[in-house]
Amino acid sequence: MRTVSKDRILAGVTLLPSILLVGIFVYGFIGNTFWTSLTDWGGVGALSENPEKNYVGFYNYKDLFVGFLSSGFRQDLVNAIFYSVFLLIGAIGVGLFIAILLDNKPKAEGFFRTVFLYPMSLSFIVTGTIWRWLLAPSGGVNVLPTYVGAEPFNFRWLSSTQSILQFDWQNILSFAFNVISIVLIVIGLWLLGKRSKHAAKWLVAGIVIGILVYLFGDMLPKALIMEEKHGFNLATTGIILATIWQYSGYTMALYLAGFTGISQDLRDAAMLDGASTFNYYRHIAIPLIQPITISAIIILSHISLKMFDLIFAMTGPDNGQTGHPALNMYLTTFRANDFARGAAIAMLLFFLAALFIIPYLISSYRNKDERA
Amino acid sequence: MARVELEKVFKRYGSFETVHGIDLAIKDNEFVVLVGPSGCGKSTILRMIAGLEEISDGTMRIGDRVVNDIDPKSRNVAMVFQNYALYPHKNVFDNMGFSLKMAGLSRNEIKEKVEQAAKVLELTPYLDRKPAALSGGQRQRVAMGRAIVRDPDVFLFDEPLSNLDAQLRTQMRMELKKLHIKMKTTTIYVTHDQVEAMTLADRIVVIKDGTIHQVGTPIEVFEKPKTVFVAKFIGNPPTNIMAGQVAEQGGAKGILCENGMFLPFPHETALEIGRKVLAGIRPDAIAAEEAVNKFSPAWQYDVQVLFSEIVGGQSLLEFDINGTSMVAELDGRHKVDPGTTLKLGFDLDRLFVFDPETNLALDW
Ligand SMILES: Nc1ncnc2c1ncn2[C@@H]1O[C@H](COP(=O)(O)OP(=O)(O)OP(=O)(O)O)[C@@H](O)[C@H]1O
Ligand SMILES: [Mg+2]
Repeated sequence: MRTVSKDRILAGVTLLPSILLVGIFVYGFIGNTFWTSLTDWGGVGALSENPEKNYVGFYNYKDLFVGFLSSGFRQDLVNAIFYSVFLLIGAIGVGLFIAILLDNKPKAEGFFRTVFLYPMSLSFIVTGTIWRWLLAPSGGVNVLPTYVGAEPFNFRWLSSTQSILQFDWQNILSFAFNVISIVLIVIGLWLLGKRSKHAAKWLVAGIVIGILVYLFGDMLPKALIMEEKHGFNLATTGIILATIWQYSGYTMALYLAGFTGISQDLRDAAMLDGASTFNYYRHIAIPLIQPITISAIIILSHISLKMFDLIFAMTGPDNGQTGHPALNMYLTTFRANDFARGAAIAMLLFFLAALFIIPYLISSYRNKDERA
Repeated sequence: MARVELEKVFKRYGSFETVHGIDLAIKDNEFVVLVGPSGCGKSTILRMIAGLEEISDGTMRIGDRVVNDIDPKSRNVAMVFQNYALYPHKNVFDNMGFSLKMAGLSRNEIKEKVEQAAKVLELTPYLDRKPAALSGGQRQRVAMGRAIVRDPDVFLFDEPLSNLDAQLRTQMRMELKKLHIKMKTTTIYVTHDQVEAMTLADRIVVIKDGTIHQVGTPIEVFEKPKTVFVAKFIGNPPTNIMAGQVAEQGGAKGILCENGMFLPFPHETALEIGRKVLAGIRPDAIAAEEAVNKFSPAWQYDVQVLFSEIVGGQSLLEFDINGTSMVAELDGRHKVDPGTTLKLGFDLDRLFVFDPETNLALDW
């Protein structure tokens, strides 16, 4: 018994410095940012020696979502969401596809692996600069068709002002409920496909919410006093392309490592069981390395939520069409000296990232417990 | 169900040849066991039959079809792997049903077939479990279940029992045999466990370094080994081999071994005097105590015991005879002190004679 408690003391003492450091410099500062976001620190005199800070509750948050003048931030937020979704689909899709090609042992596999992984090693500033040139209105990608004698593209990858998939922020509440309802129903259908007992719960919840929103959606409070359209700004396609280019090699490496780890016997067994190459990946290999897909989603989504330098390099910090909350946070805090509002944006980003990461952590801990 | 025929089948990896033109004809319903030391090419041959490995040269037939260029899934063979190769993320039901799903059967058909196979293999209570939650024996059974649901023409087994403990191995071995008696599917089974080979096989194929040394029933392979390798590899402890030459002593023709031991031939032979040979005698062809008296005095020898050990109801005796050490497997329990002199009887009716140049059995 004595030795155990001694061990514990030792362990505690050894851990103390890192606990203290992490406590102060990570959690302490998050706490401080949160506190700042609840004040009105900013404007004239924000940089004085003893700036005036008054507690204003959640005013900054409220203003970001429903404030008359915050529509720029709201578009940035919408951009970030589209950006995350397309980056996930693009980088995982392309990475997976290349990984499958390489997993089938083409000649010079090692060479191609390096080629595809190479973009990862570039800084975002370099990637951004290269792609800004490639996507310039009358250069790079747009002139490609002329090499085969066709008309050049005239798509404005980074400077288009078009916006598609628009919705009205006024109705954000009913829109959110609709999304929740659809997500629940999709999960329910997916569980149904897997013949899980829990499918019914999800389906019923989703359908009930859907019906309620359909019937009583009009009674939900409006977010704004007037119509405000937000959607997918086509100018962000260039940025999405560049990020996919940079990260597909990374997802490829993740997937390839996963595929290589699957024993040849399993593949042989699947072949003998009559699986085609496609079915092998669909039913055996990809489900087997699901943890890799989950890690890729986590990593890519928090990268896309924090994206700053690439956008900065490609379209500059002030381009409203391709704005991003992280840039907005920077400009608000350090150019406008509106520290409280910047802190509120930071907290929102933190919260969004947590939304992705916490379920992952919970499920991985739960799996560990199951295995133990 | 189908015949399997290999005609001059070669396997080369680049310039490195591992299988050197083997010929093998396996009959319908037959249970054939491939044995041989590690690295001799057993798995390679099996994988070539499955289509997982291309054959570099020769012809392979399953049923009446030449399958050289037919891919694994169209050969209708099922294989059980040494490490089972179960799909870790699928439960037992889905593991067993995967091939049926790939074949496009309806859910109900799959359910029916899987449940039937599960019943035969006593797996019904485990259908919902993932492989990780099964014991080694149960996993082994799932691997077998996955093979039998498809009702294939040929079963291929690559050392399926080698990961099990001795007791379970014996039990599974018997179940395998029963399964074969029931299903009658042509089976090719790789092992390096002789007991498995002897008990399961209709015919044994002994392989060394990518060539076939002998094909025969277990008794033929045991009693009439065609090469020195087979005599040594099959049977445990291995056959005692002594170099010598054909000679005449006291009017009898026999083998005069280099250590001075004379082994008279049990029957007339045309082997000429002076011919160099290798003599082989199985440890279980040697008897001690009263059993010695079954043999004529010419088949009895005085030996010096080096070491003895009791193995269940039998004893192994290592002894020295004029400077050569040999092993005898005796019935009954004999604990003999080292150094004791003992009279042993050799059953020379079971004498093997090989050519020392070619290592092949002589016709004598
Ligand atoms: N891909 C390969 N490239 C080169 N040589 C190979 C390859 N695969 C197998 N070999 C060689 O072929 C020979 C036969 O291998 P095989 O796996 O068939 O042996 P085995 O009889 O099954 O042995 P074990 O009893 O240990 O399983 C070995 O010498 C092995 O090194
Ligand atoms: Mg092998």
